[in-house]
Amino acid sequence: MSAQPQIELVGIDKHYGSFHALKNIDLVIPKGQFVALVGPSGCGKSTLLRSLAGLESITGGTMRIAGEVMNGVPPRKRDVAMVFQSYALYPHMTVEQNLTYSLRLKRVPRAEAKMAADEVAKTIGLQQLMHRYPRELSGGQRQRVAMGRAIIRNPKAFLFDEPLSNLDAALRVHMRKEIRALHDRLGATSVYVTHDQIEAMTMADHVVVMRDGVIEQQGSPLELYDTPATRFVGGFIGSPAMNFIPGTIAADGKSVTLDLDEGTALPIGRSLEPGRKVTVGLRPEHIEAVPGSSGQIVLPVAVVESTGSLTYLTTGGAPELTVVITGRTDIKARDTVGLTIAPERVHVFDAETERAI
Amino acid sequence: MTRVAAPKILLVLALALAAVYLFPLYWMYATSLKGASEIFANPPTFWPRDPDFSIFPATWERRTMDTFLWNSLVIATGVTTLTVLLGTGCAYVLARYRNPWIDIGLFAILMLQVLPASVMITPLYVGFNQLGLLDYPRTAVIIAAAGKSIPFYIVLVRATFMSVPSELEEAALVDGNSRWGAIFFIVLPLARNGILVLAILTFMQAFGEYIYSKSIITTQSLQPASVGLSGFLGPNSTDWNGIMAYAAMYVTPIILVFVILQRRIVSGLTSGALK
Amino acid sequence: MRRILSSITDGKGFDLIMVGVTMLFLFALAGVPLVYNVVMSFQQVDMFNLNTFSRPFAGFENYVAIVSQPEFWLVIRNTAIFVFGSIAGQFIFGFALAIFFMLSFPFASTIRGLFLVSWVMPGLVVGALWGWILAGDFGVLNAILRGLGIIDGTMFWKSDPNLSIWAVTIANIWLGLAFNMMLLSVGLAGIPRDLYEAAELDGANGWQRFTTITLPMMRSTIGAVLALGLIYTLQQFDLFPAITEGGPANSSNVAQYWAWQWSFQLFDFAKGATVSMMMVIFVLIASIVYVRSTRHEVRG
Repeated sequence: MSAQPQIELVGIDKHYGSFHALKNIDLVIPKGQFVALVGPSGCGKSTLLRSLAGLESITGGTMRIAGEVMNGVPPRKRDVAMVFQSYALYPHMTVEQNLTYSLRLKRVPRAEAKMAADEVAKTIGLQQLMHRYPRELSGGQRQRVAMGRAIIRNPKAFLFDEPLSNLDAALRVHMRKEIRALHDRLGATSVYVTHDQIEAMTMADHVVVMRDGVIEQQGSPLELYDTPATRFVGGFIGSPAMNFIPGTIAADGKSVTLDLDEGTALPIGRSLEPGRKVTVGLRPEHIEAVPGSSGQIVLPVAVVESTGSLTYLTTGGAPELTVVITGRTDIKARDTVGLTIAPERVHVFDAETERAI
Repeated sequence: MTRVAAPKILLVLALALAAVYLFPLYWMYATSLKGASEIFANPPTFWPRDPDFSIFPATWERRTMDTFLWNSLVIATGVTTLTVLLGTGCAYVLARYRNPWIDIGLFAILMLQVLPASVMITPLYVGFNQLGLLDYPRTAVIIAAAGKSIPFYIVLVRATFMSVPSELEEAALVDGNSRWGAIFFIVLPLARNGILVLAILTFMQAFGEYIYSKSIITTQSLQPASVGLSGFLGPNSTDWNGIMAYAAMYVTPIILVFVILQRRIVSGLTSGALK
Repeated sequence: MRRILSSITDGKGFDLIMVGVTMLFLFALAGVPLVYNVVMSFQQVDMFNLNTFSRPFAGFENYVAIVSQPEFWLVIRNTAIFVFGSIAGQFIFGFALAIFFMLSFPFASTIRGLFLVSWVMPGLVVGALWGWILAGDFGVLNAILRGLGIIDGTMFWKSDPNLSIWAVTIANIWLGLAFNMMLLSVGLAGIPRDLYEAAELDGANGWQRFTTITLPMMRSTIGAVLALGLIYTLQQFDLFPAITEGGPANSSNVAQYWAWQWSFQLFDFAKGATVSMMMVIFVLIASIVYVRSTRHEVRG
């Protein structure tokens, strides 16, 4: 309801010596939103998060948290909490002491602090572990203590720095749900950094894709999936990754001549200027495959892999195409297969600028 | 972390601190170069007015430094050789295995490190006397001083060996080497740097050995430079010119070696050795 | 025979020899003398029976004689001052330097390495240097202190009975500073950086981070440093003949020098052994602390 966003970044710039790590970042995060920062290694997402925390300084731009300007404010005055990738639990303190650390620093009376710790422990299921030391806990338990330490402070924002990357796959799936549930229950504002786009897609209200210090695109998860603004976002979001085929707009303006081994014309459902060089993006799950030679694209099959519930086809030739089929199929390697795709599912990117057309 | 001052300011501060700490060394050289009367100037001058280098050959002659330094060399070499020979193998075995016997051995060695030489000198002297070793005083000192330096050497060299993966040795054994072969051709070359650094440190410390030499060697021609210095150094000394010149000549080779190898020494000590 | 030979080249025999020979050597040079020391402290030893093993049994005579020496309590007091003063000085300055050198600036590790030079210098030379610096009328320390306005007249560091022990202590602090700094640096470097970041976010300022994170996590390192400090300080000998020879009037005499004086200046080896034994007790206590603290690690 309040007009003022919880976090506001305007024109944020950061240089490490001559390396330009963050370039003119604009980001607005309303209260209660769960924002994911995704991107490949080195894109600047961790740098941005740490700048929000005050652990790194920014060289340009304005940063506001809950309306107050935070440029130059030290971390301990920002009232934000961070969950580190390594959890950073204090090894010489028990779980309870870890939780109450921030309160003890503020000279909160013992009894009060203990009560608050018990509350938080109940929320995240740590009641039995209060007197253990971090080295006696499992990875998932440590993770929860790290979150508890953040929660007890009732901060203006929660910052997560790849908190699940040290956990095994099954635990990760479970913790994803827990973290999001916690966020909802607390009505918190969260900024979550990850390199795993599945985490971003499933947990976030708003996803920010970064590359080389710039925001490539931001929006709701499904927005980014359905309408990627650049080839990079198209290839980054979605698994298995989008197939990319270079081509040229055909003479009639309504289809693309693909640079496959045998030139094929693919209708794209709209008009573009003929002769324009483009890259076509096709999601593996949107391509239909039938054995035989009837289809928009006809190619030999190189590999067929089945997980039981899904089947992955990889075609021969250049570029290789991946197709995902739900269920089983009779198609075998070395068969010929005909691929079809609905025109509205075809993504077209300008070959040079890589922006979506 | 907290906002800190610019790196350049810190560098200046660090250099200042180092200068304060190293002042005594500078003062040693400055004093030896001052004329005999200038050193008693009040207030003292910080830079010799008329640097006089003749003090060095003069002191060298007068204090028979050639004999003394030679003896120091003999003792230091003997101690280092003995230490490396006896300590390296022991350190190797202690590094490779962990069982109750090894723990006892390590504990014993750690305990042996702590005994002060001033405690050991009395029984050692009496013991050497009874064995007739006092007729070979330098040898006696070498043996005694080696006993002092071996435990420390073992502890540090063991850490060096522990950083050599045992898979390499196992591969060598499978390839047909005996244990000796595996150690000589595979392990030792890899541990060579650590061992070298520690051998040099042992040498430098043995070069300055005093208490054993003073107590055991009574013949002046066999005494090392440290005992030679103590001959005219004490609470009532006045020949500070000579003392400083002697000290400078005694210590400069060590300092030079240290400065050259400083990087190696520091990294050898801090990486795992100081546990 | 062949089995023994092959055991030596390939098996257990090899390990046994490597360790055995050395242990025997150390046992002969340290273990046996220690026992011998104990024995001698209970015997009557003089120049005539110096070369025999069986000497008249003296019971606790030697111990009683030592304790009743007029300078006994003075020596104890001096040893205590020397030990505590040295440890405190080396630790505080060493820690401060270690923290300073954790900051990053160019050439930090090289400059830090320079401090180690005191460790390779002969103790006697260090004693000579400081003996000259601390000289009463012509020593540069007095000149500097006068110049800074801290003192008016002359402090006779070496010849004033109240100051003489401090003269040696100052030299010893200089000597042991670097080693402390090195050990503490290693301990400091072992603390993960993100703990400090987490603490900062939790609201801790610099001092609070030091007391709630650094110090507790350095506990075993600090224990080791202090124990080693005690051990090495009790081993420090060379500075004494160089600077004060224990004087004037035993005002700077400490247990280890006193023991040596008994044996090699007064030729009363039994008393020398006795004083040594009293020292060994302290040293053993300190070493137990040292060994225990190096086993007790607190790492998350």
